[in-house]
Amino acid sequence: MSQEENIKQELITKFGIPEANFRLPRERRIFVEVGQEIFPAVFDYAVRQLKFCHLCTMTGLDDGDKLSVIYHLAQDRSIMINIKTSVPKDNPKLMSVTSYFSSADAYERELADLLGFKVEGLPPGNRYPLTDDWPRDQFPLRKDWKTPATKV
Amino acid sequence: MNWLKKIITWSRMKSPWIIHFNTGACNACDIEIIASLTPRYDIERFGVLLKGTPRHADVLVCSGPVTRQIKDRLVRIYDQMAEPKFVVAVGTCACSGGVFQGCYNVLGGIDKAIPVSAYIPGCAAGPKAIMDGVVKLLSSLEEKKVTAADVIIEKKELPAVAPVPPPVAGPGPAQEEKA
Repeated sequence: MSQEENIKQELITKFGIPEANFRLPRERRIFVEVGQEIFPAVFDYAVRQLKFCHLCTMTGLDDGDKLSVIYHLAQDRSIMINIKTSVPKDNPKLMSVTSYFSSADAYERELADLLGFKVEGLPPGNRYPLTDDWPRDQFPLRKDWKTPATKV
Repeated sequence: MNWLKKIITWSRMKSPWIIHFNTGACNACDIEIIASLTPRYDIERFGVLLKGTPRHADVLVCSGPVTRQIKDRLVRIYDQMAEPKFVVAVGTCACSGGVFQGCYNVLGGIDKAIPVSAYIPGCAAGPKAIMDGVVKLLSSLEEKKVTAADVIIEKKELPAVAPVPPPVAGPGPAQEEKA
Protein backbone atom coordinates (compact mmCIF):
# COMPACT_ATOMS: atom_id res chain seq x y z
CA MET A 1 0.00 0.00 0.00
CA SER A 2 1.08 3.50 -0.72
CA GLN A 3 1.99 5.92 2.00
CA GLU A 4 -1.17 7.93 1.42
CA GLU A 5 -3.29 4.80 1.77
CA ASN A 6 -1.48 3.96 5.01
CA ILE A 7 -2.23 7.38 6.45
CA LYS A 8 -5.84 7.12 5.34
CA GLN A 9 -6.30 3.70 6.95
CA GLU A 10 -4.58 4.91 10.11
CA LEU A 11 -6.99 7.83 10.44
CA ILE A 12 -10.00 5.61 9.68
CA THR A 13 -9.10 3.05 12.35
CA LYS A 14 -8.06 5.63 14.91
CA PHE A 15 -10.92 8.15 14.60
CA GLY A 16 -13.64 6.30 12.71
CA ILE A 17 -13.79 8.85 9.92
CA PRO A 18 -16.05 7.51 7.12
CA GLU A 19 -14.12 6.45 4.06
CA ALA A 20 -16.34 8.65 1.88
CA ASN A 21 -14.82 11.72 3.58
CA PHE A 22 -11.41 10.91 2.09
CA ARG A 23 -10.26 11.87 -1.34
CA LEU A 24 -6.90 10.92 -2.80
CA PRO A 25 -6.90 12.72 -6.17
CA ARG A 26 -3.25 12.01 -6.96
CA GLU A 27 -0.09 10.75 -5.35
CA ARG A 28 1.08 12.55 -2.21
CA ARG A 29 -2.24 14.36 -1.75
CA ILE A 30 -4.85 13.57 0.89
CA PHE A 31 -8.12 15.45 1.35
CA VAL A 32 -10.24 14.67 4.38
CA GLU A 33 -13.33 16.19 5.95
CA VAL A 34 -13.73 15.81 9.68
CA GLY A 35 -16.42 16.94 12.07
CA GLN A 36 -15.80 19.79 14.46
CA GLU A 37 -16.02 17.45 17.49
CA ILE A 38 -13.10 15.20 16.47
CA PHE A 39 -11.09 17.86 14.68
CA PRO A 40 -8.77 18.77 17.60
CA ALA A 41 -7.80 15.12 18.06
CA VAL A 42 -7.27 14.54 14.33
CA PHE A 43 -5.21 17.69 14.00
CA ASP A 44 -3.09 16.81 17.02
CA TYR A 45 -2.53 13.30 15.69
CA ALA A 46 -1.58 14.56 12.23
CA VAL A 47 0.91 17.06 13.62
CA ARG A 48 2.46 15.09 16.47
CA GLN A 49 2.20 11.44 15.33
CA LEU A 50 2.11 11.61 11.54
CA LYS A 51 4.68 14.44 11.54
CA PHE A 52 2.80 16.85 9.34
CA CYS A 53 5.08 19.52 10.70
CA HIS A 54 4.54 22.32 8.19
CA LEU A 55 1.38 24.43 7.98
CA CYS A 56 1.42 25.55 4.35
CA THR A 57 -1.65 27.75 4.61
CA MET A 58 -5.23 27.85 5.75
CA THR A 59 -8.22 28.34 3.47
CA GLY A 60 -11.50 29.79 4.66
CA LEU A 61 -14.74 29.05 2.84
CA ASP A 62 -18.29 30.33 3.00
CA ASP A 63 -20.39 27.20 2.44
CA GLY A 64 -23.84 28.72 2.73
CA ASP A 65 -25.15 27.88 6.20
CA LYS A 66 -21.73 26.97 7.51
CA LEU A 67 -18.18 28.25 7.37
CA SER A 68 -15.32 25.90 6.59
CA VAL A 69 -11.58 25.92 7.03
CA ILE A 70 -9.04 23.79 5.22
CA TYR A 71 -5.73 23.26 6.96
CA HIS A 72 -3.05 22.44 4.42
CA LEU A 73 -0.34 20.49 6.21
CA ALA A 74 2.81 19.05 4.68
CA GLN A 75 5.22 16.35 5.68
CA ASP A 76 8.93 16.06 5.12
CA ARG A 77 8.29 13.41 2.45
CA SER A 78 6.24 16.02 0.57
CA ILE A 79 2.91 14.40 1.35
CA MET A 80 0.19 17.00 1.86
CA ILE A 81 -2.89 16.45 3.95
CA ASN A 82 -5.78 18.89 3.63
CA ILE A 83 -8.03 18.69 6.66
CA LYS A 84 -11.38 20.39 6.21
CA THR A 85 -13.69 21.17 9.06
CA SER A 86 -16.92 23.15 9.19
CA VAL A 87 -18.64 25.23 11.82
CA PRO A 88 -22.21 26.61 11.82
CA LYS A 89 -22.45 30.16 10.52
CA ASP A 90 -24.48 31.44 13.45
CA ASN A 91 -21.82 30.28 15.92
CA PRO A 92 -18.52 30.05 14.03
CA LYS A 93 -16.24 29.05 16.88
CA LEU A 94 -12.89 27.70 15.77
CA MET A 95 -10.00 26.21 17.70
CA SER A 96 -6.79 28.19 17.35
CA VAL A 97 -3.81 26.17 16.15
CA THR A 98 -1.28 28.77 17.29
CA SER A 99 -0.17 26.37 20.04
CA TYR A 100 1.10 24.08 17.24
CA PHE A 101 2.13 26.69 14.67
CA SER A 102 2.65 30.17 16.11
CA SER A 103 2.71 31.64 12.62
CA ALA A 104 -0.90 30.55 12.13
CA ASP A 105 -2.08 33.68 13.92
CA ALA A 106 -1.87 35.69 10.69
CA TYR A 107 -4.10 33.17 8.93
CA GLU A 108 -6.49 33.05 11.84
CA ARG A 109 -6.77 36.81 12.13
CA GLU A 110 -7.56 36.87 8.44
CA LEU A 111 -10.29 34.28 8.95
CA ALA A 112 -11.69 36.30 11.84
CA ASP A 113 -11.60 39.58 9.91
CA LEU A 114 -12.76 38.51 6.49
CA LEU A 115 -15.12 35.62 7.23
CA GLY A 116 -16.11 36.27 10.81
CA PHE A 117 -14.74 33.20 12.54
CA LYS A 118 -14.48 33.40 16.30
CA VAL A 119 -11.07 31.90 16.89
CA GLU A 120 -10.69 30.70 20.45
CA GLY A 121 -7.22 30.88 21.92
CA LEU A 122 -5.89 33.47 19.49
CA PRO A 123 -3.40 35.73 21.30
CA PRO A 124 -4.50 39.38 21.52
CA GLY A 125 -3.20 41.66 18.81
CA ASN A 126 -4.05 44.21 16.16
CA ARG A 127 -6.55 43.67 13.42
CA TYR A 128 -5.33 42.07 10.25
CA PRO A 129 -5.78 42.66 7.33
CA LEU A 130 -8.65 45.14 7.67
CA THR A 131 -8.22 48.64 9.04
CA ASP A 132 -8.87 49.45 12.67
CA ASP A 133 -11.97 51.51 11.85
CA TRP A 134 -13.66 48.69 9.96
CA PRO A 135 -17.02 47.75 11.53
CA ARG A 136 -16.79 44.70 13.74
CA ASP A 137 -19.91 43.06 12.37
CA GLN A 138 -19.01 43.08 8.68
CA PHE A 139 -17.12 40.30 6.96
CA PRO A 140 -16.34 41.16 3.34
CA LEU A 141 -15.52 37.66 2.12
CA ARG A 142 -18.90 36.27 3.16
CA LYS A 143 -21.06 35.67 0.13
CA ASP A 144 -23.98 37.71 1.43
CA TRP A 145 -21.80 40.80 1.92
CA LYS A 146 -22.32 43.52 -0.65
CA THR A 147 -19.99 46.44 -1.26
CA PRO A 148 -21.40 49.95 -1.47
CA ALA A 149 -20.49 50.03 -5.18
CA THR A 150 -22.45 46.93 -6.16
CA LYS A 151 -25.43 47.65 -3.94
CA VAL A 152 -28.44 48.55 -6.12
CA MET B 1 10.82 91.23 -3.29
CA ASN B 2 8.80 90.40 -6.40
CA TRP B 3 11.93 89.45 -8.31
CA LEU B 4 12.73 86.87 -5.65
CA LYS B 5 9.31 85.23 -6.00
CA LYS B 6 9.82 85.14 -9.74
CA ILE B 7 13.13 83.39 -9.31
CA ILE B 8 11.60 80.89 -6.93
CA THR B 9 8.76 80.09 -9.33
CA TRP B 10 11.17 79.82 -12.24
CA SER B 11 13.46 77.47 -10.37
CA ARG B 12 10.55 75.39 -9.18
CA MET B 13 9.29 74.98 -12.71
CA LYS B 14 12.71 74.19 -14.09
CA SER B 15 13.58 71.59 -11.46
CA PRO B 16 10.53 69.93 -9.95
CA TRP B 17 11.80 67.28 -7.59
CA ILE B 18 9.47 64.38 -7.22
CA ILE B 19 8.81 61.60 -4.79
CA HIS B 20 7.14 58.48 -6.05
CA PHE B 21 4.70 56.66 -3.81
CA ASN B 22 2.87 53.45 -4.62
CA THR B 23 -0.48 53.51 -2.84
CA GLY B 24 -1.47 50.05 -3.95
CA ALA B 25 -0.67 49.88 -7.65
CA CYS B 26 -0.01 46.70 -9.59
CA ASN B 27 3.50 48.04 -10.44
CA ALA B 28 2.71 48.69 -14.09
CA CYS B 29 2.42 52.45 -13.52
CA ASP B 30 5.53 52.34 -11.33
CA ILE B 31 7.48 50.78 -14.16
CA GLU B 32 6.21 53.47 -16.52
CA ILE B 33 7.22 56.20 -14.06
CA ILE B 34 10.68 54.68 -13.83
CA ALA B 35 10.79 54.36 -17.62
CA SER B 36 10.03 58.05 -18.00
CA LEU B 37 12.84 58.93 -15.60
CA THR B 38 15.49 56.64 -17.01
CA PRO B 39 17.52 57.40 -20.17
CA ARG B 40 15.06 56.26 -22.82
CA TYR B 41 12.64 59.13 -22.11
CA ASP B 42 14.90 60.86 -19.61
CA ILE B 43 12.79 63.56 -18.01
CA GLU B 44 15.73 64.11 -15.70
CA ARG B 45 17.17 66.29 -18.45
CA PHE B 46 14.39 68.77 -17.64
CA GLY B 47 15.43 68.85 -14.02
CA VAL B 48 12.91 66.32 -12.76
CA LEU B 49 14.77 64.48 -10.04
CA LEU B 50 13.49 61.49 -8.09
CA LYS B 51 14.18 62.12 -4.42
CA GLY B 52 14.25 59.68 -1.58
CA THR B 53 12.35 61.73 0.94
CA PRO B 54 9.12 63.76 0.82
CA ARG B 55 10.87 66.63 2.60
CA HIS B 56 12.99 67.29 -0.50
CA ALA B 57 10.18 66.87 -3.01
CA ASP B 58 7.82 69.35 -4.67
CA VAL B 59 5.62 66.82 -6.46
CA LEU B 60 4.15 63.66 -5.00
CA VAL B 61 3.69 61.15 -7.81
CA CYS B 62 1.16 58.54 -6.71
CA SER B 63 0.28 55.35 -8.52
CA GLY B 64 -2.53 52.98 -7.74
CA PRO B 65 -5.78 53.12 -5.83
CA VAL B 66 -5.65 54.20 -2.20
CA THR B 67 -6.13 51.16 -0.03
CA ARG B 68 -7.67 51.68 3.37
CA GLN B 69 -4.46 50.57 5.04
CA ILE B 70 -2.23 52.96 3.09
CA LYS B 71 -4.45 56.01 3.50
CA ASP B 72 -2.91 57.14 6.80
CA ARG B 73 0.61 56.67 5.41
CA LEU B 74 -0.22 58.62 2.27
CA VAL B 75 -1.62 61.53 4.29
CA ARG B 76 1.44 61.42 6.51
CA ILE B 77 3.82 61.59 3.56
CA TYR B 78 1.77 64.40 2.06
CA ASP B 79 1.97 66.31 5.33
CA GLN B 80 5.74 65.90 5.42
CA MET B 81 6.19 67.70 2.12
CA ALA B 82 6.99 71.38 2.18
CA GLU B 83 4.62 73.94 0.64
CA PRO B 84 3.98 74.49 -2.16
CA LYS B 85 3.31 70.90 -3.02
CA PHE B 86 1.57 69.18 -5.89
CA VAL B 87 0.13 65.73 -6.27
CA VAL B 88 0.05 63.86 -9.55
CA ALA B 89 -2.18 60.79 -9.82
CA VAL B 90 -0.67 58.40 -12.36
CA GLY B 91 -2.94 55.80 -13.89
CA THR B 92 -6.65 55.13 -13.98
CA CYS B 93 -6.61 53.51 -10.55
CA ALA B 94 -5.01 56.57 -9.00
CA CYS B 95 -7.50 58.86 -10.74
CA SER B 96 -10.69 57.08 -9.75
CA GLY B 97 -9.99 53.72 -8.19
CA GLY B 98 -10.36 52.05 -11.57
CA VAL B 99 -11.35 48.42 -11.51
CA PHE B 100 -10.80 48.34 -7.77
CA GLN B 101 -13.73 50.64 -7.02
CA GLY B 102 -15.93 49.12 -4.38
CA CYS B 103 -13.40 46.59 -3.15
CA TYR B 104 -13.65 46.22 0.59
CA ASN B 105 -10.01 47.16 1.05
CA VAL B 106 -9.93 50.10 -1.36
CA LEU B 107 -10.91 53.66 -0.59
CA GLY B 108 -10.83 54.92 -4.20
CA GLY B 109 -8.69 57.38 -6.11
CA ILE B 110 -5.92 59.51 -4.65
CA ASP B 111 -8.33 62.45 -4.30
CA LYS B 112 -10.25 60.53 -1.66
CA ALA B 113 -7.27 61.00 0.65
CA ILE B 114 -5.38 64.13 -0.45
CA PRO B 115 -5.99 66.95 -2.95
CA VAL B 116 -4.71 66.15 -6.45
CA SER B 117 -3.27 68.69 -8.90
CA ALA B 118 -3.02 66.57 -12.05
CA TYR B 119 -4.65 63.36 -13.20
CA ILE B 120 -2.91 61.15 -15.75
CA PRO B 121 -5.27 58.37 -16.89
CA GLY B 122 -4.16 55.21 -18.62
CA CYS B 123 -3.72 51.57 -17.78
CA ALA B 124 -0.84 51.78 -17.46
CA ALA B 125 -0.16 55.48 -18.07
CA GLY B 126 2.72 55.50 -20.56
CA PRO B 127 5.87 57.59 -20.21
CA LYS B 128 4.64 60.02 -22.85
CA ALA B 129 1.36 60.51 -20.99
CA ILE B 130 3.27 61.04 -17.75
CA MET B 131 5.53 63.60 -19.40
CA ASP B 132 2.49 65.34 -20.86
CA GLY B 133 0.86 65.47 -17.46
CA VAL B 134 3.95 66.88 -15.81
CA VAL B 135 4.35 69.49 -18.53
CA LYS B 136 0.70 70.51 -18.19
CA LEU B 137 1.06 70.80 -14.43
CA LEU B 138 4.16 72.97 -14.77
CA SER B 139 2.76 75.08 -17.59
CA SER B 140 -0.36 75.73 -15.53
CA LEU B 141 1.93 77.37 -13.01
CA GLU B 142 3.45 79.47 -15.74
CA GLU B 143 0.20 80.50 -17.40
CA LYS B 144 -1.32 81.72 -14.19
CA LYS B 145 1.95 83.48 -13.38
CA VAL B 146 1.52 82.26 -9.87
CA THR B 147 4.23 82.84 -7.38
CA ALA B 148 5.17 80.52 -4.61
CA ALA B 149 3.14 82.55 -2.14
CA ASP B 150 0.05 82.38 -4.34
CA VAL B 151 0.34 78.67 -4.63
CA ILE B 152 0.34 78.32 -0.88
CA ILE B 153 -2.87 80.32 -0.64
CA GLU B 154 -4.41 78.38 -3.49
CA LYS B 155 -3.63 75.05 -1.90
CA LYS B 156 -5.18 76.08 1.38
CA GLU B 157 -8.46 76.88 -0.36
CA LEU B 158 -8.83 73.32 -1.58
CA PRO B 159 -11.72 71.42 0.00
CA ALA B 160 -11.02 69.45 3.12
CA VAL B 161 -10.26 65.78 2.81
CA ALA B 162 -13.48 63.81 2.55
CA PRO B 163 -14.12 61.51 5.51
CA VAL B 164 -13.88 57.81 4.93
CA PRO B 165 -17.35 56.54 3.98
CA PRO B 166 -18.35 53.67 6.24
CA PRO B 167 -18.95 50.44 4.36
CA VAL B 168 -22.61 49.67 3.85
CA ALA B 169 -23.82 46.58 5.61
CA GLY B 170 -25.00 43.65 3.57
CA PRO B 171 -27.93 41.53 4.73
CA GLY B 172 -25.54 39.35 6.71
CA PRO B 173 -26.20 38.66 10.38
CA ALA B 174 -24.77 41.28 12.74
CA GLN B 175 -22.53 39.64 15.27
CA GLU B 176 -20.35 40.64 18.13
CA GLU B 177 -16.73 39.84 17.76
CA LYS B 178 -14.00 39.59 20.33
CA ALA B 179 -11.05 41.89 19.91
